[in-house]
Amino acid sequence: MDLRYSPDDLAFRDATRRWFEANVPTTELKTLGERREWHRTLFDGGYVGMGWPREYGGQDARALRQAIVADEMARVNAPPTINGLGIGIVGPTIIHHGTEAQKQRYLKKILAADELWCQLYSEPNAGSDLASLRTRAEDKGDHFEVNGQKIWTSYGAISDWGLLLARTDTSVAKHRGISCFLINIHQPGVDVRPLKQVTGNQEFCEVFMTGARVEKSDLVGRLGQGWEIAQTTLSYERGGNSLARVTRYTSAFHELVKATRALRRAGRPLIDDPLVRAKLGRIYAELEVQRYAALRVLSALDKGEGPGAASSITKLSYSEFEKRYFELALEILGPYGQVTAGLPEQLSTRVSASSGHGETWAYAYLWSRAGTIYSGSSEIQKNVIGERVLGLPKETRADRVK
Amino acid sequence: MDFAFSGDQQLLKNAARAFLDERCTSAVVRGLWDDPRGESEAMWKDMAQLGWLGLSLPEAYGGSGLGMVETAILLDEMGRAAYPGPYLPTVLAAHAVDSAGTTEQKNRWLPAIATGGARATTAFVDADLAWDPQSTATRAEKVGAGWRLSGAKQFVAWAHVADVLLVPARTPDGVTLFLVEPAAAGLTMKPVTAIDMGTRWAALTLDGVTVGADAILGAPGNGERLVWELLRRAAVAAAAEMLGAARRCLDMSVGYAKVREQFGQPIGSFQAIRHKCAEMLLSVENSHAAVYYAAWALDAKAEDAALAASVAKSYVSEAARHVCGEAIQVHGGIGFTWEYDLHLYMKRAKALEPMYGDADWHREQILRLVTE
Repeated sequence: MDLRYSPDDLAFRDATRRWFEANVPTTELKTLGERREWHRTLFDGGYVGMGWPREYGGQDARALRQAIVADEMARVNAPPTINGLGIGIVGPTIIHHGTEAQKQRYLKKILAADELWCQLYSEPNAGSDLASLRTRAEDKGDHFEVNGQKIWTSYGAISDWGLLLARTDTSVAKHRGISCFLINIHQPGVDVRPLKQVTGNQEFCEVFMTGARVEKSDLVGRLGQGWEIAQTTLSYERGGNSLARVTRYTSAFHELVKATRALRRAGRPLIDDPLVRAKLGRIYAELEVQRYAALRVLSALDKGEGPGAASSITKLSYSEFEKRYFELALEILGPYGQVTAGLPEQLSTRVSASSGHGETWAYAYLWSRAGTIYSGSSEIQKNVIGERVLGLPKETRADRVK
Repeated sequence: MDFAFSGDQQLLKNAARAFLDERCTSAVVRGLWDDPRGESEAMWKDMAQLGWLGLSLPEAYGGSGLGMVETAILLDEMGRAAYPGPYLPTVLAAHAVDSAGTTEQKNRWLPAIATGGARATTAFVDADLAWDPQSTATRAEKVGAGWRLSGAKQFVAWAHVADVLLVPARTPDGVTLFLVEPAAAGLTMKPVTAIDMGTRWAALTLDGVTVGADAILGAPGNGERLVWELLRRAAVAAAAEMLGAARRCLDMSVGYAKVREQFGQPIGSFQAIRHKCAEMLLSVENSHAAVYYAAWALDAKAEDAALAASVAKSYVSEAARHVCGEAIQVHGGIGFTWEYDLHLYMKRAKALEPMYGDADWHREQILRLVTE
């Protein structure tokens, strides 16, 4: 056990810190153009797609280096890259499973954010039971025709392309009849409609596909291999952001402490109230435990040990923590915590939520409900942990009984 | 950066598991619960032979010069076995003598402890159970060249087998640590029986106990700093032992859920049980991260070592209680019987929960460290 960073990694961190301090935008990025420009600045700085293989424009960077960059970005509250799903999921999927032609056609444009990507997985009737998805892709000889509806599509409104799961064979078991495609969003058969969430924002979309066209050359892997590919892409989603997440929580904690100094009740600052202190102490202890656990996972990733099903523990841990965190924060702040506009000046209005957007306490609180649902709900994570980590027997499932 | 145990640390862990599996079975533990002394002399000597008692002492005094991570590895395994005996208080007191003692004090106690010839303990709290050393109520008055101690100490672990007790007392210079031997006139001990019979406590009365000037550990008035330092180690040590007890309860629950059948299926196939086990694992893995991060931070003298120790103790105290309790729930009726072993581990975790500062107390320390 040795949790010190190596001199090389420390030097890298210092250089990264200097770069971000010098380059982070000082004003909020409002337009797509501004966000694209920031992405390209990051790309030119060498901070985009670091984990990708060199031959496709990446740096083969170790997990720790990627985590350091994400952490330094969180430290200065830097806006995220605009093509997160393209960089984090679509690109690695094409690299692992794509044809040479697909790699040549798509990867460079993903890195440079010339083309933005979304993931077309969930459907209104296929959430936790993703494999029951009904969107069909029919072989029309020279192309596939796609019909169906997707939902919870992050970045749908700004995407040019989508990584699509669709059913190509209804005669086999549901997991085996799914294929993976790359689909152009800009065509008459694809209709993207923003979906307004409880936050009041539109972080997600619904995507309707009616007679949409997918080229034969845009099938990823083999026909029927889609479920297997989706399983590997889901595992790309975890790990690298864990330290950055804790850094955001920590900066929010210090904002919260500031607020408890500014707010007074019964003649004394809130921070002198033993009940408030107990809550703050509990939050901070849990937050630190998240940090230690993140370091543990990161050190394994850095040695090339894939976390496998254990990544479900990480996801369950942080997403459930985040709910408790903002619940306690709003208990402490009272109705001030719910204010979306018109907060007294001494209370911070820029709280960094895990979505990476600086927002209000109210927004962070509402957004915290998303984490235990997206990319595998807490209940699904507990099933995975129970079956694949603890080796408990599988439950009898109606859809597997023949 | 590497969070995994080194090869040597893993070997130590494996050796500890093998030794305790063989020598500290639940039958042995139960035998010692019924034993008036409560610990095994033979096991103590064998632990000395294995180098466990001098693990973190300097080689010059018969130790191995290892650190808190290695100590935590052993305590983790001891918690897993519900080992009954004065290991934790002895190595804690030995650390105090090593870090603040005179050469004479070190020569007197450290080789004896390392070779299994002496046991030691700490008597931190007075009747009000306040762990902050500045609350120390026991007093020491200067009498001639020596000192006279008066007061009462509560929940002193394994005092009845200790050859030396570390007693904080208030002097005109401030809180000072004294080394008190059990035969000293005016010292009486009353055994306290509690739910974990593998942890023996005593209430101490110091009625004008006279000690020499050489009984002071460090200098008069530097006791507060020393006690704070010891409390941090003790917090991590206790957290490590609670972690081991919790993991044992988790393992037993998972094993049971695989074989116990109801409604014609193993109960582990039901989400109600599987999800409980998954939550228990989450608590155990987070506890592991907290314990070993804190142990490493103490060894590395990291800036956040004090914070990490309080984080570990506050988090693991509640996590272990939760996991051990849920283990009984997963087992159902059988888990509530005296014959079934679960309660050995559950009671060990519970006994350590309030010691060296409970979760609330450590959370207050955390807040002070972070905001002041």
